[in-house]
Amino acid sequence: MELFVEFLKTTGYYLADIRYIFMICVGILFCFLATAKKYEPLLLLPIGFGIIVGNIPFFKGFGLGIYENNSVLHYLYFGVTSGLYPSIVFLGLGAMTDFSSMLARPKLMLLGAAAQMGIYFTLLSALALGFAPKEAASVAIIGGADGPTSIFLTAKLAPHLIGPIAIAAYSYMALIPIIQPPIMRLLTTRKERLIRMPDTDRPITRKELLCFPIVGVILCCFLAPASIPLLGPFFFGNFMKESRVVDRLTKTASTAVIDTATIFLGFTVGASTQADVFLTGKSVGIFLLGAVAFSIATASGVIFAKIMNIFLKEKINPLLGAAGVSAVPGSAREVHLVGLKEDPTNYLLMHAMACNASGVIGSAICAGILWSFMMR
Amino acid sequence: MIGLEAISAHNGWAMAITGSIIVMCGLSALAFIISQLHKVIGLFEKKKKEASPFAQPSTDIDILNDLPVTALLYQPLTAELGDSFPLAELYRIFERESLPHPHLTINALREADYLQSSGDGLFSWKKD
Repeated sequence: MELFVEFLKTTGYYLADIRYIFMICVGILFCFLATAKKYEPLLLLPIGFGIIVGNIPFFKGFGLGIYENNSVLHYLYFGVTSGLYPSIVFLGLGAMTDFSSMLARPKLMLLGAAAQMGIYFTLLSALALGFAPKEAASVAIIGGADGPTSIFLTAKLAPHLIGPIAIAAYSYMALIPIIQPPIMRLLTTRKERLIRMPDTDRPITRKELLCFPIVGVILCCFLAPASIPLLGPFFFGNFMKESRVVDRLTKTASTAVIDTATIFLGFTVGASTQADVFLTGKSVGIFLLGAVAFSIATASGVIFAKIMNIFLKEKINPLLGAAGVSAVPGSAREVHLVGLKEDPTNYLLMHAMACNASGVIGSAICAGILWSFMMR
Repeated sequence: MIGLEAISAHNGWAMAITGSIIVMCGLSALAFIISQLHKVIGLFEKKKKEASPFAQPSTDIDILNDLPVTALLYQPLTAELGDSFPLAELYRIFERESLPHPHLTINALREADYLQSSGDGLFSWKKD
């Protein structure tokens, strides 16, 4: 009987408290959103299930938890803390990205740069709220709306915040259809939303597509060498794709490799949200600042497009500025849908993808810049 | 420490302004370079053509309006694929060979029946 009582004391039912129950409910909510509502299922499903698994209470010291040495979860989590998974995800992203729309409309790249202002605004806000500089930089990168980039920088600067920052970044990416459209409508007039973009400026040759990853990696990585772990694999993946001589490698990078990394990244990030580590005042602050970061990033892209229109003869649709955040392809799709609501024959998707692709590069550069600043 | 004092103490203003300028300059430079990339490539190709005494003469055909000639010229390209091939493969070859307007050309050849369906999603050239 004594043995049975002792066993009961080691079960999760005995050890659970309200915090774990709350986090498990959050995990179930994520799984529900992913499966029933299809909100970013590739991200929310592994994260949601990871949250459930990570919040099952257990005896500390058994080598079970993600923060305990020698546990299986801890080994899997190494890919997150070392920045390995984000790099692999970027390799796959590069192998999947078609830069032709961006190469055809280089001026739209500026919108990708403008949307990064949300990062620096949030950096100031986080510092003002009392976050330490490295923590503030990690929170700020949520404004880039890029999950792997956020995880990568946080792993380098403030590893203790990976859980809340990753969850905030991915949650806001999933909430793009809710967050972005009101901001786009608020900052633009109907007349602006009706602006049509020319079909294409010029056809893109294969040689251009082949040269771009080389030019891109040299220019960006020389500018911010700290972004090499992200942009190096990213442009390498794209070079493989455009070379068309290593189709097998490209296919593997854009399917099996990125999928494997996404599974382990999502699952372990979810599991890292153990209630006793995750439910703190700081996490609440991170979520609030994340929302601010994302909103400011969207707004700054739209406002910059309007400023560009003052000087441009051929006006650009300011909605495209919202696609300057690097949430690919969610924000481009949202821009397209908002444009379609105003005029069902106005197709903005390819133009928005140009801004989106530039946003991916921009946020990775920003991560490199912030890391360099904090290394001093 | 919180508020503006915290920002100043941690050099926040300088980091935000410098960071913004760096990313804006970086992407602007990249945008400028890629906007000129086709000119640089064109320059190299021109030099290459000038340097080669055996440069192939350009075929001055209107590929979309002169479809019989287009079909005749393009048929040898699919020799590696056999008699029947998927259109996606044909498109890939057109792109590999840097032929102009691959999508439009394939579409025109199909509509004019120079490319005929041989079932199972495969196509073959019209037999004369």
